[in-house]
Amino acid sequence: MIDRALIGHVTTPTTLRIDAWRVKLFCQATGERDAVYWDEAAACAAGHRACPVPTTFLKALENEHLGAAALLALMGAPIRGVLHAGQSFEFLAPLHVGDTVEICRRVADIYDKKNGALTFVVVDTDYRSGERAVATSRQTMVLRSEVDPA
Amino acid sequence: MSSDKFPPRLALDWGPVSAVDLALFAAASGDHNPLHLDAEVARDAGFDRPIVHGMLTMACTARAFTAALGAGSVRSLEARFVGVAKLGDTIRVEATLEAVEADLARYSIAARAADGRDLVTGSARVGASPLR
Repeated sequence: MIDRALIGHVTTPTTLRIDAWRVKLFCQATGERDAVYWDEAAACAAGHRACPVPTTFLKALENEHLGAAALLALMGAPIRGVLHAGQSFEFLAPLHVGDTVEICRRVADIYDKKNGALTFVVVDTDYRSGERAVATSRQTMVLRSEVDPA
Repeated sequence: MSSDKFPPRLALDWGPVSAVDLALFAAASGDHNPLHLDAEVARDAGFDRPIVHGMLTMACTARAFTAALGAGSVRSLEARFVGVAKLGDTIRVEATLEAVEADLARYSIAARAADGRDLVTGSARVGASPLR
């Protein structure tokens, strides 16, 4: 049983720089072949001020800030049987290689379904660069009690 | 639905997903959950094979849009992981244009395994030019 008192828990923000190598590794791992993400000349030719980041790349930075495993450890829950049930992003401003991003996560909700067989944990994340909000996201995880009995 | 800026349908195929793909994505994304990497852990959790990171399927979903409309074209992206993709699966992402409002288009999204299992349903809002 996850303590409902954790609803509203906010992580201490961390600021991370978007390094070129990390973006390139992310592209390699996701089958991304468009050179705009790692070749500055290609990026500028396509109208970007620098290499843009792939759409869902912020999730990799978020895991360095505080990923699902670390968040669940904070809650005393094992990662073993946890599944990713849902994910959404809103993109508000462009991000490029070399930018810094401040990341902060908040436990938005914890609730049960199926008489407690499933526990859902909803986590919202804010991403800021300088004074500007650049994106928000919401992750929903599901913990299955038959895999990790309380 | 048709539009001169936005294709009515977008599709992308990915796979078959290999153990190397999953290890590389674990490193690139920082998601080291052994459910994606260790067959024994996957079996203990009720899966006959290691499962594909939802975020890997979602990255491919985003790629279906950026391949057609360019980097930075996605304004919002929402995915519900309604099924589990597994090691060895080939994933097909399809997006269907639902509406065009001002300069943005709304698409519905469905990702399925080659054997027809539903993996992702969702939606996206995209622009024909990058976010500024």
